[in-house]
Amino acid sequence: MIVLDNVTKRYPGSQDVLSNASLQIEQGEMVYVTGHSGAGKSTLLKLIAAIERPSNGTVLINQQNVSKLRESALPYIRRKFGLVFQDHKLLYDRSCFHNVALPLAINGITGADAAKRIRAALDKVGLLHKEKMMPITLSGGEQQRLAIARAVVSRPSILIADEPTGHLDQTYADDILSLFSAFQQVGVTVIIATHDALTTAKQPHKVLHLNQGRLSMPEVSV
Amino acid sequence: MNRWLNSHLQTLKQVIARWRQHLFSNLLISLTIAVTLALPVIVYLVLTSFSHLTSTIQSDSHISVFLSSSATPTTIDSIHNILTTKEMIAQFHFVPKAEALKQLMMDSNNSNIISTLPENPLPDAFFIEPKSLASEAIEQLKNELAQLDGVEAVQVDDAWLKRLSYLLTLGQKALLVLASLLGFALFMVIGNTIRMQILTQQEEIEVSQLIGATHRFIRRPFLYAGAIYGFVGALFALIISTAVIALFNLSISALATAYQSDFSLRLPSLEVTLITCLTAIGIGLFSAYFAVAKSLFKSIQ
Ligand SMILES: Nc1ncnc2c1ncn2[C@@H]1O[C@H](COP(=O)(O)OP(=O)(O)OP(=O)(O)O)[C@@H](O)[C@H]1O
Ligand SMILES: [Mg+2]
Repeated sequence: MIVLDNVTKRYPGSQDVLSNASLQIEQGEMVYVTGHSGAGKSTLLKLIAAIERPSNGTVLINQQNVSKLRESALPYIRRKFGLVFQDHKLLYDRSCFHNVALPLAINGITGADAAKRIRAALDKVGLLHKEKMMPITLSGGEQQRLAIARAVVSRPSILIADEPTGHLDQTYADDILSLFSAFQQVGVTVIIATHDALTTAKQPHKVLHLNQGRLSMPEVSV
Repeated sequence: MNRWLNSHLQTLKQVIARWRQHLFSNLLISLTIAVTLALPVIVYLVLTSFSHLTSTIQSDSHISVFLSSSATPTTIDSIHNILTTKEMIAQFHFVPKAEALKQLMMDSNNSNIISTLPENPLPDAFFIEPKSLASEAIEQLKNELAQLDGVEAVQVDDAWLKRLSYLLTLGQKALLVLASLLGFALFMVIGNTIRMQILTQQEEIEVSQLIGATHRFIRRPFLYAGAIYGFVGALFALIISTAVIALFNLSISALATAYQSDFSLRLPSLEVTLITCLTAIGIGLFSAYFAVAKSLFKSIQ
């Protein structure tokens, strides 16, 4: 369970990017974070993923208070999440296979065991035949899917994706969204930041709408 | 445990693969490290060879034992007997005072002066050639002899030996300074190299941290890299110093034959090899640790 209580976030020298945000996300929920560019979507996701600490208020991940954790404990919290970054953050000095291997290596999984899981993850996003290619040779959409493969390979209990369908055409976007739904159906919490979620989502979901750092939760009918 | 070992092996493989990718520049760096290491190793080898020399070389250095003027023939006999039992003594001979005076009189200049003296001023004396010239053993022998009844004074003629050993002590101090300075240089060279590597891997480090890598995980490959630079550098350094010493020995052997000595400089022993490798690996680890600590963890917060 993820709880934000009255969370405010300021970056050094900036105004409040997020002000007094409170929310609660249960395990296994599907959540969309919407809002205009600069509304604070990425910031909210980074707070949840323990990448940024709140300036005020508390962030609880499975009862652990992220704001109070020691620096050395943060990596272990972060491993609960599978992250798809808005700018992918793929590593261009190694093959697709080795990009997906990174989270497993961090978790101490290597060798044949890792290879099996890496291929399964690549297969899920339809990139198995490109495992030896370098990411720079992939199209924008393929790079996005590679980022998703890297996020899911360590079987996280919470999946966070920052605009994962931004570069995709409608068919692929639908594919990706149904992939996320499949994860949600097996109990994974899925949190997606997006511009256009309301038009494409077919599953029941919760919406967190941000407007200049202020959070609202409009009712959603499916 | 297995998993832990496995991930270490994986890191090692990855680091070695990276090493081989930039084989040429890595070899150049290792050579720089090797030259830095070889200098103190060579100085050390030369110094130990000479300090070994001071304890084995036979020379005309000897110990003179002067007896008191009141020494009776029986005391002289008993001293003679004690000297024959001493392990440390290679050989000795006795010079009675009359004999000594006779030798002195052979010089005509002296004879004039001496003939004016009312009695023989010279003491009886033993002249001893010790087996070993190790200064501690000689010092001990000297003290033992001085304790004997009828012995007035014991004099050790080892001035040149003392001078050599002072020089060697000075050399050892200089070696210490040299080794510290070059150790620091090594620390900087390896540290800078690791910092360059960190720069080229900044993205990987950042992403790894974002998805839950611990500091230890990120540090690990760089520690391995530092240790490998140290190790390879040490191996090259040992090769270089062996070659240099062998070259020295070529000219020394000619010189030594002329002096009828089999003196030669020592090649690196197993001990020297181990210490050189371990020191270099230690410095590599240490400087890599610092390089990582200073260059990392800027990406978040
Ligand atoms: N590291 C940072 N330092 C300073 N300001 C930042 C930082 N990250 C974000 N901001 C600011 O916070 C605000 C919200 O940024 P954020 O990235 O959360 O927006 P977003 O909703 O994800 O926008 P987009 O849809 O364009 O990705 C922006 O005005 C941005 O300039
Ligand atoms: Mg964003």
